[in-house]
Amino acid sequence: MRPLTEPETQTLFSKLANYTGPSLKALIAPPPSSSSKEDTRMVFRMHQSRVYYCSLHIANLATSIARPNLLSVGTCLGKFTKTGKFRLHVTALDIIAPHARYKVWIKPNGEMPFLYGGNIVKAHVGRWSEDCPEHQGVVVLKMDDTPLGIGVTARSTAETKRLEPTGITVFRQVDVGEYLREEDTLFAT
Amino acid sequence: MAPTRTVKSSVKGAKSSSKPSALGAKTKSRVSRKPKAPPPKQQKTKPAQGPAKKKRKIYTDKELGIPKLNMITPVGVDLPKGKKKGKVFVDDQESMMTILAIVNANKEGQIESKMMKSRQMEEIRAARRKEAEARQEQRKSKLEETKDSMRKKRKRKPDVAVGAETSESVPKESKGGKVGRKRVSFA
Repeated sequence: MRPLTEPETQTLFSKLANYTGPSLKALIAPPPSSSSKEDTRMVFRMHQSRVYYCSLHIANLATSIARPNLLSVGTCLGKFTKTGKFRLHVTALDIIAPHARYKVWIKPNGEMPFLYGGNIVKAHVGRWSEDCPEHQGVVVLKMDDTPLGIGVTARSTAETKRLEPTGITVFRQVDVGEYLREEDTLFAT
Repeated sequence: MAPTRTVKSSVKGAKSSSKPSALGAKTKSRVSRKPKAPPPKQQKTKPAQGPAKKKRKIYTDKELGIPKLNMITPVGVDLPKGKKKGKVFVDDQESMMTILAIVNANKEGQIESKMMKSRQMEEIRAARRKEAEARQEQRKSKLEETKDSMRKKRKRKPDVAVGAETSESVPKESKGGKVGRKRVSFA
């Protein structure tokens, strides 16, 4: 387990910034009331090409476990591919969702198709953030604001208005159905 | 100076001695003399040259820090002195914040440019749509005009025909009315 290098930090942050706004700062520097102790500082750690987000205290404790025996620390954000790109995991959803820049709410009849790995069609969109450009990362929510996954817009909001009901508006990237579908590979390498 | 000359002569003699076999005795005597004479001379000559060379310290390129010419040094092969080997980690909050600020600024710029592009495209599309609508209307109006003209033509023709017929028929009829009365005559 090691901290991230500069290029790794940059790729990670640029990926996270796809979905979040400037409030991403809160991830690194938590509110001043809780940051009084050095141990409560949240850090990013890399272990077997996966990036984990945890408090410094836990990261320090984890050094007492041998590398091959360490399965996971804190929250897994995703992993670095062999080409150096970063791929988000569904476990990062809870960290990204509160800081989301653009959101799409889907109707109850569109939830199951999305959770089975389908893209979101216009007919299933309940409402969406205005002024969203094309190919922009969005967080997908239920109508009661429960995060369901992450996607990328297929068209801008202006174009979506002219789209037919069966046209794809959001391409799925991550959904909570992966907890079941990817159960075998999600936590084990 | 004298001893050196003897050496040269001896060397020459040795070389020459190898060819003619008759001069072997002379050469032997000369060779026997050699070991006594040359070693001190050589020793003298060597130390005389040696210290002069040793005084000059030969510096290597690395020591002088001279850049190598006409060489391509791959990145990471020549690390500057006093720098850490291996990866440089970013673990302090400030450097992470600076990286995040840079990344955020980049993203903002990208999103802004995307929005600008989409707005421009939207404007262009709206303009095209208006043009297309205008053209459609023009076509429609033209069509209507032609239709109207056709209708008028059609209407006029029958009117004229009817008028002509009536005008013609009426007198005919009138004539006929007058003439048309059938008269039966029995002769």
